Amino acid sequence: MTGVVAPAERWELLKGEVKGAAKKYSQDRCTARHVAEGRAVVLAVADGHGSAPHFRSDLGARWAVEEFAVCAQEFAAAAVRYDDEAEQYEDKGPWWNALAELRAEARRLPQLVAHRWYERATLHDCNSPAHGAHRHPPKGPDLTAYGTTLVGAVLTRRLLVCWQLGDGDVVVLDAAGTPYTPLYTGPDLGDETDSLCAPESWHHARCHWQPLTSEGPSGVLLSTDGLSKSFTDHQGFLDFAAGVQGRAHELGIPAVRGRLTEWLSHAAQYSGDDTTLVGAFEAAGPAAPRQNDAPHT
Amino acid sequence: MSDTFDLPGGSMASRPVHFIWLLDCSGSMSVNGKIAELNFAIREAIPEMQSAARSNPGATLLVRAVSFASGASWHINDPTPVDQFTWEDLHTYGGTDMGAAFRLAAGALQTPPMPQRALPPVIALVSDGQPTDDWRSGLRAIDDTPWGKRAVRVALAIGDDADKSMLKEFLANPELEPLQAKNPRQLAAAIRWMSTAVKAASTPKGDGGGPVQAPPPVALGKDEDEDPIW
Repeated sequence: MTGVVAPAERWELLKGEVKGAAKKYSQDRCTARHVAEGRAVVLAVADGHGSAPHFRSDLGARWAVEEFAVCAQEFAAAAVRYDDEAEQYEDKGPWWNALAELRAEARRLPQLVAHRWYERATLHDCNSPAHGAHRHPPKGPDLTAYGTTLVGAVLTRRLLVCWQLGDGDVVVLDAAGTPYTPLYTGPDLGDETDSLCAPESWHHARCHWQPLTSEGPSGVLLSTDGLSKSFTDHQGFLDFAAGVQGRAHELGIPAVRGRLTEWLSHAAQYSGDDTTLVGAFEAAGPAAPRQNDAPHT
Repeated sequence: MSDTFDLPGGSMASRPVHFIWLLDCSGSMSVNGKIAELNFAIREAIPEMQSAARSNPGATLLVRAVSFASGASWHINDPTPVDQFTWEDLHTYGGTDMGAAFRLAAGALQTPPMPQRALPPVIALVSDGQPTDDWRSGLRAIDDTPWGKRAVRVALAIGDDADKSMLKEFLANPELEPLQAKNPRQLAAAIRWMSTAVKAASTPKGDGGGPVQAPPPVALGKDEDEDPIW
Protein backbone atom coordinates (compact mmCIF):
# COMPACT_ATOMS: atom_id res chain seq x y z
CA MET A 1 0.00 0.00 0.00
CA THR A 2 1.21 3.51 -0.76
CA GLY A 3 0.86 6.49 1.52
CA VAL A 4 2.87 5.11 4.41
CA VAL A 5 5.77 7.04 5.82
CA ALA A 6 7.51 6.89 9.17
CA PRO A 7 5.20 5.90 12.05
CA ALA A 8 4.56 8.81 14.40
CA GLU A 9 6.51 7.12 17.18
CA ARG A 10 9.54 7.48 14.94
CA TRP A 11 9.21 11.26 15.16
CA GLU A 12 11.37 12.97 17.71
CA LEU A 13 10.03 16.16 19.20
CA LEU A 14 11.66 19.51 19.86
CA LYS A 15 10.41 22.41 21.92
CA GLY A 16 11.99 25.71 22.94
CA GLU A 17 10.72 29.09 24.06
CA VAL A 18 12.42 32.30 25.17
CA LYS A 19 11.17 35.65 26.37
CA GLY A 20 11.67 38.72 24.21
CA ALA A 21 14.46 41.10 25.15
CA ALA A 22 13.25 43.76 27.61
CA LYS A 23 9.90 42.01 28.15
CA LYS A 24 8.73 41.17 31.65
CA TYR A 25 7.32 37.79 30.71
CA SER A 26 6.55 35.78 27.62
CA GLN A 27 3.12 35.76 26.01
CA ASP A 28 3.96 32.77 23.82
CA ARG A 29 2.74 29.25 24.63
CA CYS A 30 3.40 25.95 22.87
CA THR A 31 3.06 22.19 22.93
CA ALA A 32 4.69 19.26 21.15
CA ARG A 33 3.37 15.83 22.05
CA HIS A 34 2.74 12.31 20.87
CA VAL A 35 -0.97 11.40 20.90
CA ALA A 36 -3.18 8.49 19.81
CA GLU A 37 -1.06 6.04 21.78
CA GLY A 38 2.06 7.47 20.27
CA ARG A 39 0.93 7.07 16.67
CA ALA A 40 0.41 10.74 15.90
CA VAL A 41 2.06 14.03 16.75
CA VAL A 42 0.39 17.31 17.71
CA LEU A 43 2.34 20.56 17.52
CA ALA A 44 1.12 24.05 18.37
CA VAL A 45 2.43 27.54 19.10
CA ALA A 46 0.42 30.62 20.07
CA ASP A 47 1.67 34.17 20.28
CA GLY A 48 -0.26 36.48 22.59
CA HIS A 49 -0.20 39.99 21.14
CA GLY A 50 1.44 41.40 24.24
CA SER A 51 0.81 45.12 23.82
CA ALA A 52 -1.22 47.13 26.36
CA PRO A 53 -4.69 46.48 24.87
CA HIS A 54 -3.94 42.74 25.01
CA PHE A 55 -2.77 42.56 28.62
CA ARG A 56 -4.23 39.07 29.13
CA SER A 57 -2.83 37.63 25.94
CA ASP A 58 -0.63 35.17 27.82
CA LEU A 59 -3.85 33.54 29.02
CA GLY A 60 -5.31 33.73 25.52
CA ALA A 61 -2.22 32.02 24.11
CA ARG A 62 -2.33 29.27 26.74
CA TRP A 63 -6.00 28.53 26.07
CA ALA A 64 -5.41 28.58 22.32
CA VAL A 65 -2.75 25.89 22.63
CA GLU A 66 -4.75 23.83 25.11
CA GLU A 67 -7.97 23.90 23.10
CA PHE A 68 -6.17 23.21 19.86
CA ALA A 69 -4.44 20.24 21.48
CA VAL A 70 -7.79 18.79 22.60
CA CYS A 71 -9.35 19.17 19.15
CA ALA A 72 -6.23 18.05 17.31
CA GLN A 73 -5.94 14.99 19.52
CA GLU A 74 -9.46 13.88 18.54
CA PHE A 75 -8.68 14.58 14.91
CA ALA A 76 -5.46 12.57 15.12
CA ALA A 77 -7.25 9.67 16.83
CA ALA A 78 -9.79 9.55 14.01
CA ALA A 79 -7.03 9.61 11.41
CA VAL A 80 -5.22 6.76 13.14
CA ARG A 81 -8.44 4.76 13.42
CA TYR A 82 -9.10 5.07 9.71
CA ASP A 83 -5.48 4.18 9.08
CA ASP A 84 -5.92 1.00 11.13
CA GLU A 85 -8.98 -0.01 9.18
CA ALA A 86 -7.18 0.47 5.90
CA GLU A 87 -4.25 -1.54 7.20
CA GLN A 88 -6.47 -4.32 8.50
CA TYR A 89 -8.25 -4.90 5.20
CA GLU A 90 -5.28 -4.08 3.00
CA ASP A 91 -7.62 -1.99 0.94
CA LYS A 92 -6.96 1.60 -0.08
CA GLY A 93 -10.65 2.33 -0.62
CA PRO A 94 -11.66 2.96 3.01
CA TRP A 95 -8.67 5.22 3.50
CA TRP A 96 -9.53 7.38 0.51
CA ASN A 97 -13.12 7.58 1.69
CA ALA A 98 -11.91 8.49 5.14
CA LEU A 99 -9.78 11.27 3.72
CA ALA A 100 -12.91 13.09 2.58
CA GLU A 101 -14.32 12.92 6.11
CA LEU A 102 -11.03 13.94 7.66
CA ARG A 103 -10.74 16.85 5.30
CA ALA A 104 -14.16 18.07 6.32
CA GLU A 105 -13.10 17.73 9.95
CA ALA A 106 -9.92 19.66 9.22
CA ARG A 107 -11.98 22.49 7.75
CA ARG A 108 -14.22 22.55 10.82
CA LEU A 109 -11.41 22.42 13.34
CA PRO A 110 -10.56 26.18 13.38
CA GLN A 111 -14.16 27.04 14.20
CA LEU A 112 -14.23 24.41 16.92
CA VAL A 113 -11.02 25.68 18.49
CA ALA A 114 -12.16 29.29 18.22
CA HIS A 115 -15.46 28.44 19.88
CA ARG A 116 -13.80 26.63 22.77
CA TRP A 117 -11.29 29.47 23.16
CA TYR A 118 -14.12 32.00 23.09
CA GLU A 119 -15.95 30.15 25.87
CA ARG A 120 -12.90 30.09 28.12
CA ALA A 121 -12.07 33.73 27.51
CA THR A 122 -15.68 34.78 28.03
CA LEU A 123 -15.92 32.83 31.28
CA HIS A 124 -12.71 34.41 32.52
CA ASP A 125 -13.88 37.87 31.52
CA CYS A 126 -17.20 37.35 33.28
CA ASN A 127 -15.45 36.35 36.49
CA SER A 128 -12.81 39.03 36.21
CA PRO A 129 -13.85 41.76 33.77
CA ALA A 130 -10.89 43.00 31.80
CA HIS A 131 -12.11 46.58 31.99
CA GLY A 132 -13.33 46.55 35.55
CA ALA A 133 -17.02 46.12 34.80
CA HIS A 134 -19.21 44.18 32.43
CA ARG A 135 -19.72 46.17 29.26
CA HIS A 136 -20.63 43.53 26.78
CA PRO A 137 -21.74 45.11 23.53
CA PRO A 138 -24.72 43.65 21.65
CA LYS A 139 -22.47 41.47 19.50
CA GLY A 140 -20.86 39.79 22.49
CA PRO A 141 -18.00 40.35 24.89
CA ASP A 142 -14.91 42.25 23.86
CA LEU A 143 -12.08 39.73 24.14
CA THR A 144 -9.36 42.04 22.83
CA ALA A 145 -7.43 41.66 26.08
CA TYR A 146 -6.90 37.96 25.32
CA GLY A 147 -5.82 38.35 21.67
CA THR A 148 -3.50 35.71 20.30
CA THR A 149 -2.44 33.94 17.14
CA LEU A 150 -2.41 30.15 16.74
CA VAL A 151 -0.40 27.81 14.56
CA GLY A 152 -0.92 24.05 14.85
CA ALA A 153 -0.24 20.76 13.11
CA VAL A 154 -1.20 17.10 13.24
CA LEU A 155 1.13 14.49 11.81
CA THR A 156 0.31 10.82 11.33
CA ARG A 157 2.05 8.31 9.13
CA ARG A 158 -0.45 9.03 6.34
CA LEU A 159 -1.39 12.64 6.85
CA LEU A 160 0.01 16.07 7.62
CA VAL A 161 -2.44 18.90 8.36
CA CYS A 162 -1.39 22.39 9.45
CA TRP A 163 -3.58 25.30 10.52
CA GLN A 164 -2.67 28.93 10.97
CA LEU A 165 -4.57 31.91 12.32
CA GLY A 166 -2.49 35.08 12.32
CA ASP A 167 1.25 35.39 12.02
CA GLY A 168 3.85 32.72 12.74
CA ASP A 169 5.42 30.11 10.51
CA VAL A 170 5.09 26.50 9.44
CA VAL A 171 8.16 25.00 7.78
CA VAL A 172 7.95 21.52 6.30
CA LEU A 173 11.14 19.73 5.32
CA ASP A 174 10.64 17.29 2.47
CA ALA A 175 12.25 13.87 2.29
CA ALA A 176 15.45 15.42 0.98
CA GLY A 177 15.48 18.00 3.78
CA THR A 178 14.49 20.92 1.53
CA PRO A 179 12.35 23.40 3.47
CA TYR A 180 9.09 24.87 2.24
CA THR A 181 6.45 27.04 3.91
CA PRO A 182 3.00 25.83 2.82
CA LEU A 183 1.04 28.57 4.59
CA TYR A 184 3.37 31.49 3.90
CA THR A 185 1.58 34.47 2.36
CA GLY A 186 4.51 36.86 2.04
CA PRO A 187 6.00 39.30 4.50
CA ASP A 188 3.64 41.16 6.85
CA LEU A 189 3.95 44.92 7.03
CA GLY A 190 4.08 46.45 10.47
CA ASP A 191 3.30 43.45 12.64
CA GLU A 192 -0.41 43.43 11.88
CA THR A 193 -1.96 40.05 12.42
CA ASP A 194 -5.23 38.19 12.49
CA SER A 195 -6.28 37.15 15.96
CA LEU A 196 -8.48 34.70 17.80
CA CYS A 197 -10.06 37.68 19.58
CA ALA A 198 -11.62 38.95 16.33
CA PRO A 199 -15.28 38.16 15.61
CA GLU A 200 -15.65 34.88 13.69
CA SER A 201 -11.88 34.60 13.67
CA TRP A 202 -11.95 31.11 12.13
CA HIS A 203 -12.73 32.64 8.75
CA HIS A 204 -9.17 33.95 8.74
CA ALA A 205 -7.60 30.54 9.43
CA ARG A 206 -5.55 28.89 6.70
CA CYS A 207 -5.17 25.13 6.34
CA HIS A 208 -2.53 22.99 4.67
CA TRP A 209 -3.75 19.50 3.81
CA GLN A 210 -1.18 16.92 2.75
CA PRO A 211 -1.92 13.18 2.50
CA LEU A 212 1.48 11.57 2.74
CA THR A 213 2.96 9.38 0.09
CA SER A 214 6.05 7.24 0.39
CA GLU A 215 7.98 10.52 0.09
CA GLY A 216 6.59 12.19 3.20
CA PRO A 217 8.20 15.05 5.09
CA SER A 218 11.30 14.50 7.17
CA GLY A 219 10.53 17.35 9.54
CA VAL A 220 7.89 19.88 10.55
CA LEU A 221 8.66 23.09 12.44
CA LEU A 222 6.21 25.60 13.90
CA SER A 223 7.37 28.93 15.28
CA THR A 224 6.06 32.29 16.43
CA ASP A 225 6.94 35.29 14.29
CA GLY A 226 9.69 36.38 16.67
CA LEU A 227 11.93 33.79 15.04
CA SER A 228 11.42 34.53 11.34
CA LYS A 229 11.49 38.29 11.91
CA SER A 230 14.95 38.13 13.42
CA PHE A 231 16.38 37.07 10.04
CA THR A 232 17.20 39.67 7.44
CA ASP A 233 15.33 37.68 4.79
CA HIS A 234 12.99 34.73 4.39
CA GLN A 235 15.70 32.52 2.92
CA GLY A 236 17.79 32.97 6.07
CA PHE A 237 14.87 31.64 8.09
CA LEU A 238 14.42 28.65 5.76
CA ASP A 239 18.15 27.97 6.06
CA PHE A 240 17.71 27.97 9.83
CA ALA A 241 14.98 25.31 9.60
CA ALA A 242 17.13 23.16 7.33
CA GLY A 243 20.11 23.77 9.59
CA VAL A 244 18.25 22.63 12.70
CA GLN A 245 17.42 19.39 10.97
CA GLY A 246 21.01 19.08 9.78
CA ARG A 247 22.27 19.50 13.34
CA ALA A 248 19.70 16.94 14.53
CA HIS A 249 21.01 14.39 12.04
CA GLU A 250 24.61 15.27 12.75
CA LEU A 251 24.55 15.64 16.54
CA GLY A 252 21.28 14.04 17.58
CA ILE A 253 18.08 15.58 18.92
CA PRO A 254 19.34 15.77 22.55
CA ALA A 255 22.24 17.95 21.44
CA VAL A 256 19.88 20.22 19.50
CA ARG A 257 17.57 20.46 22.51
CA GLY A 258 20.56 21.55 24.53
CA ARG A 259 21.36 24.36 22.12
CA LEU A 260 17.91 25.45 21.09
CA THR A 261 17.40 27.95 23.91
CA GLU A 262 20.67 29.70 23.02
CA TRP A 263 19.69 29.86 19.37
CA LEU A 264 16.27 31.27 20.15
CA SER A 265 17.70 33.74 22.67
CA HIS A 266 20.07 35.00 20.01
CA ALA A 267 17.18 35.48 17.60
CA ALA A 268 15.08 37.26 20.24
CA GLN A 269 17.78 39.88 20.64
CA TYR A 270 17.09 40.97 17.07
CA SER A 271 13.33 40.65 16.86
CA GLY A 272 12.76 41.89 20.42
CA ASP A 273 9.82 39.49 20.54
CA ASP A 274 9.07 36.28 22.42
CA THR A 275 10.43 33.44 20.32
CA THR A 276 9.06 29.91 20.35
CA LEU A 277 9.77 26.86 18.22
CA VAL A 278 8.32 23.35 18.25
CA GLY A 279 9.14 20.60 15.80
CA ALA A 280 9.07 16.96 14.88
CA PHE A 281 11.90 15.26 13.06
CA GLU A 282 11.99 11.78 11.63
CA ALA A 283 14.34 9.78 13.82
CA ALA A 284 17.50 8.78 11.98
CA GLY A 285 18.32 5.66 13.99
CA PRO A 286 16.28 3.05 15.84
CA ALA A 287 12.97 4.20 17.28
CA ALA A 288 13.49 6.48 20.23
CA PRO A 289 11.67 5.86 23.52
CA ARG A 290 8.22 7.39 23.29
CA GLN A 291 7.57 10.59 25.16
CA ASN A 292 4.23 12.14 25.91
CA ASP A 293 5.63 15.59 25.48
CA ALA A 294 8.87 17.16 24.35
CA PRO A 295 11.12 17.98 27.28
CA HIS A 296 11.61 21.64 28.00
CA THR A 297 14.89 23.00 26.78
CA MET B 1 31.10 25.62 21.95
CA SER B 2 32.09 28.31 19.48
CA ASP B 3 31.26 32.01 19.89
CA THR B 4 28.37 31.70 17.48
CA PHE B 5 27.30 28.43 19.17
CA ASP B 6 26.86 26.80 15.79
CA LEU B 7 23.78 28.85 14.96
CA PRO B 8 22.17 27.60 11.75
CA GLY B 9 20.54 29.86 9.18
CA GLY B 10 21.12 33.22 7.55
CA SER B 11 22.13 36.54 9.02
CA MET B 12 20.04 38.29 11.66
CA ALA B 13 19.46 41.98 12.25
CA SER B 14 17.17 44.17 14.29
CA ARG B 15 14.34 45.80 12.37
CA PRO B 16 14.57 49.41 11.22
CA VAL B 17 12.10 52.01 12.45
CA HIS B 18 12.13 55.27 10.48
CA PHE B 19 11.45 58.58 12.21
CA ILE B 20 10.62 61.48 9.90
CA TRP B 21 10.41 65.07 11.13
CA LEU B 22 8.20 67.39 9.00
CA LEU B 23 9.15 70.89 10.13
CA ASP B 24 7.57 74.23 9.28
CA CYS B 25 10.14 76.79 8.18
CA SER B 26 7.69 79.45 7.00
CA GLY B 27 8.41 83.13 7.56
CA SER B 28 6.12 83.23 10.60
CA MET B 29 8.44 80.79 12.36
CA SER B 30 10.97 83.61 12.60
CA VAL B 31 8.58 85.65 14.76
CA ASN B 32 9.41 85.71 18.47
CA GLY B 33 12.27 83.27 17.98
CA LYS B 34 10.16 80.19 17.21
CA ILE B 35 12.60 78.66 14.73
CA ALA B 36 15.52 79.17 17.10
CA GLU B 37 13.58 77.52 19.92
CA LEU B 38 12.59 74.64 17.62
CA ASN B 39 16.23 74.07 16.64
CA PHE B 40 17.21 74.16 20.30
CA ALA B 41 14.41 71.78 21.33
CA ILE B 42 15.25 69.18 18.69
CA ARG B 43 18.94 69.30 19.55
CA GLU B 44 18.15 68.94 23.25
CA ALA B 45 15.80 66.00 22.57
CA ILE B 46 18.43 63.88 20.83
CA PRO B 47 19.59 62.16 24.05
CA GLU B 48 15.96 61.28 24.86
CA MET B 49 15.58 59.84 21.42
CA GLN B 50 18.75 57.80 21.82
CA SER B 51 17.57 56.58 25.19
CA ALA B 52 14.20 55.51 23.76
CA ALA B 53 16.02 53.62 21.03
CA ARG B 54 18.29 51.86 23.48
CA SER B 55 15.29 50.69 25.49
CA ASN B 56 14.28 48.48 22.57
CA PRO B 57 17.24 46.56 21.18
CA GLY B 58 14.91 44.88 18.69
CA ALA B 59 14.66 48.09 16.67
CA THR B 60 17.20 50.26 14.86
CA LEU B 61 16.04 53.88 14.92
CA LEU B 62 16.79 55.88 11.76
CA VAL B 63 16.07 59.62 11.69
CA ARG B 64 15.53 62.02 8.82
CA ALA B 65 13.89 65.43 8.42
CA VAL B 66 11.93 67.44 5.86
CA SER B 67 11.67 71.22 6.04
CA PHE B 68 8.87 73.04 4.27
CA ALA B 69 8.22 76.68 3.45
CA SER B 70 8.11 77.71 -0.24
CA GLY B 71 8.30 74.11 -1.38
CA ALA B 72 9.83 71.30 0.64
CA SER B 73 13.19 69.59 0.78
CA TRP B 74 15.04 66.98 2.78
CA HIS B 75 16.89 68.70 5.59
CA ILE B 76 18.41 65.34 6.50
CA ASN B 77 18.14 63.14 3.45
CA ASP B 78 19.70 59.87 4.56
CA PRO B 79 18.05 57.73 7.24
CA THR B 80 20.58 58.35 10.00
CA PRO B 81 21.14 55.96 12.91
CA VAL B 82 20.10 57.85 16.01
CA ASP B 83 23.49 57.35 17.64
CA GLN B 84 25.03 59.34 14.78
CA PHE B 85 22.24 61.90 14.58
CA THR B 86 23.22 65.55 14.90
CA TRP B 87 21.12 68.61 14.23
CA GLU B 88 21.89 71.37 11.72
CA ASP B 89 19.85 74.52 12.31
CA LEU B 90 16.81 75.19 10.15
CA HIS B 91 16.18 78.66 8.67
CA THR B 92 12.93 80.29 7.60
CA TYR B 93 12.28 80.99 3.93
CA GLY B 94 8.68 81.68 2.82
CA GLY B 95 5.21 80.09 2.82
CA THR B 96 3.81 76.91 4.41
CA ASP B 97 3.83 74.29 1.65
CA MET B 98 2.91 71.39 3.87
CA GLY B 99 1.43 69.40 0.99
CA ALA B 100 4.84 69.38 -0.69
CA ALA B 101 6.34 68.01 2.53
CA PHE B 102 3.71 65.28 2.69
CA ARG B 103 4.44 64.25 -0.89
CA LEU B 104 8.17 64.14 -0.18
CA ALA B 105 7.58 61.95 2.86
CA ALA B 106 5.19 59.74 0.89
CA GLY B 107 8.02 58.89 -1.49
CA ALA B 108 10.06 57.61 1.45
CA LEU B 109 7.16 55.53 2.74
CA GLN B 110 6.97 53.32 -0.34
CA THR B 111 8.38 49.79 -0.35
CA PRO B 112 11.08 50.11 -1.59
CA PRO B 113 12.86 52.21 -0.37
CA MET B 114 11.44 51.26 3.03
CA PRO B 115 12.07 47.56 3.64
CA GLN B 116 9.16 45.19 4.23
CA ARG B 117 10.62 43.98 7.50
CA ALA B 118 10.65 47.51 8.97
CA LEU B 119 8.61 48.46 12.00
CA PRO B 120 5.91 51.11 11.55
CA PRO B 121 7.50 54.52 10.95
CA VAL B 122 6.93 57.67 12.97
CA ILE B 123 5.88 60.90 11.24
CA ALA B 124 6.25 63.97 13.46
CA LEU B 125 4.70 67.19 12.10
CA VAL B 126 5.43 70.63 13.56
CA SER B 127 3.72 73.78 12.26
CA ASP B 128 2.74 77.28 13.38
CA GLY B 129 0.37 78.28 10.60
CA GLN B 130 -2.05 77.55 7.80
CA PRO B 131 -0.87 75.44 4.86
CA THR B 132 -0.45 77.51 1.70
CA ASP B 133 -0.64 74.67 -0.82
CA ASP B 134 -2.84 71.64 -1.51
CA TRP B 135 -2.07 69.74 1.68
CA ARG B 136 -5.00 67.33 1.27
CA SER B 137 -3.57 65.72 -1.85
CA GLY B 138 -0.23 65.43 -0.05
CA LEU B 139 -1.87 63.76 2.91
CA ARG B 140 -3.68 61.38 0.56
CA ALA B 141 -0.30 60.52 -0.95
CA ILE B 142 0.91 59.47 2.52
CA ASP B 143 -2.29 57.54 3.24
CA ASP B 144 -1.93 55.71 -0.06
CA THR B 145 1.48 54.28 0.83
CA PRO B 146 1.71 50.93 2.64
CA TRP B 147 3.72 52.43 5.48
CA GLY B 148 1.93 55.78 5.63
CA LYS B 149 -1.33 54.23 6.74
CA ARG B 150 0.51 52.22 9.40
CA ALA B 151 2.64 55.09 10.68
CA VAL B 152 2.56 56.44 14.21
CA ARG B 153 1.66 60.10 13.73
CA VAL B 154 2.27 62.94 16.13
CA ALA B 155 1.64 66.64 15.53
CA LEU B 156 2.53 69.86 17.30
CA ALA B 157 0.87 73.25 16.88
CA ILE B 158 3.10 76.18 17.79
CA GLY B 159 1.07 79.18 18.87
CA ASP B 160 -2.58 80.04 18.31
CA ASP B 161 -2.32 80.59 14.57
CA ALA B 162 -1.60 76.94 13.76
CA ASP B 163 -4.34 75.08 11.87
CA LYS B 164 -5.25 72.59 14.57
CA SER B 165 -8.14 71.04 12.66
CA MET B 166 -5.78 70.28 9.82
CA LEU B 167 -3.23 68.80 12.24
CA LYS B 168 -5.98 66.64 13.74
CA GLU B 169 -6.84 65.40 10.27
CA PHE B 170 -3.19 64.50 9.79
CA LEU B 171 -3.32 62.39 12.96
CA ALA B 172 -6.13 60.35 11.37
CA ASN B 173 -7.48 59.32 14.75
CA PRO B 174 -10.49 61.06 16.28
CA GLU B 175 -9.26 60.17 19.77
CA LEU B 176 -6.01 62.07 19.36
CA GLU B 177 -5.42 65.81 19.57
CA PRO B 178 -2.35 67.66 18.36
CA LEU B 179 0.03 68.88 21.00
CA GLN B 180 0.18 72.63 21.54
CA ALA B 181 3.11 74.82 22.54
CA LYS B 182 2.69 78.48 23.39
CA ASN B 183 6.11 79.16 24.83
CA PRO B 184 9.65 77.75 24.63
CA ARG B 185 9.26 75.46 27.63
CA GLN B 186 6.13 73.84 26.22
CA LEU B 187 7.84 73.51 22.85
CA ALA B 188 10.81 71.72 24.40
CA ALA B 189 8.53 69.36 26.36
CA ALA B 190 6.46 68.58 23.27
CA ILE B 191 9.50 67.90 21.11
CA ARG B 192 10.92 65.61 23.79
CA TRP B 193 7.65 63.69 23.93
CA MET B 194 7.43 63.45 20.14
CA SER B 195 11.00 62.20 19.97
CA THR B 196 10.10 59.23 22.12
CA ALA B 197 6.98 58.30 20.12
CA VAL B 198 9.28 55.74 18.59
CA LYS B 199 8.49 53.55 21.61
CA ALA B 200 4.96 53.07 20.28
CA ALA B 201 6.26 52.21 16.83
CA SER B 202 8.84 49.70 17.98
CA THR B 203 6.52 47.65 20.16
CA PRO B 204 6.76 44.18 18.63
CA LYS B 205 3.03 43.71 18.17
CA GLY B 206 0.54 46.18 16.81
CA ASP B 207 -3.01 46.55 17.88
CA GLY B 208 -4.33 43.33 16.46
CA GLY B 209 -4.80 44.49 12.91
CA GLY B 210 -5.79 48.12 13.31
CA PRO B 211 -3.52 51.06 12.60
CA VAL B 212 -0.75 51.59 15.10
CA GLN B 213 -1.69 54.47 17.35
CA ALA B 214 0.49 56.97 19.05
CA PRO B 215 0.10 57.30 22.80
CA PRO B 216 -2.34 60.01 23.91
CA PRO B 217 -0.91 63.50 24.19
CA VAL B 218 0.59 64.35 27.55
CA ALA B 219 -0.31 67.45 29.45
CA LEU B 220 2.35 70.03 28.84
CA GLY B 221 3.69 72.58 31.31
CA LYS B 222 0.93 73.78 33.62
CA ASP B 223 3.06 76.33 35.34
CA GLU B 224 0.85 79.32 36.12
CA ASP B 225 3.83 81.57 35.64
CA GLU B 226 4.35 80.43 32.09
CA ASP B 227 2.82 83.09 29.88
CA PRO B 228 1.92 82.31 26.32
CA ILE B 229 4.35 84.01 23.96
CA TRP B 230 3.19 82.58 20.65
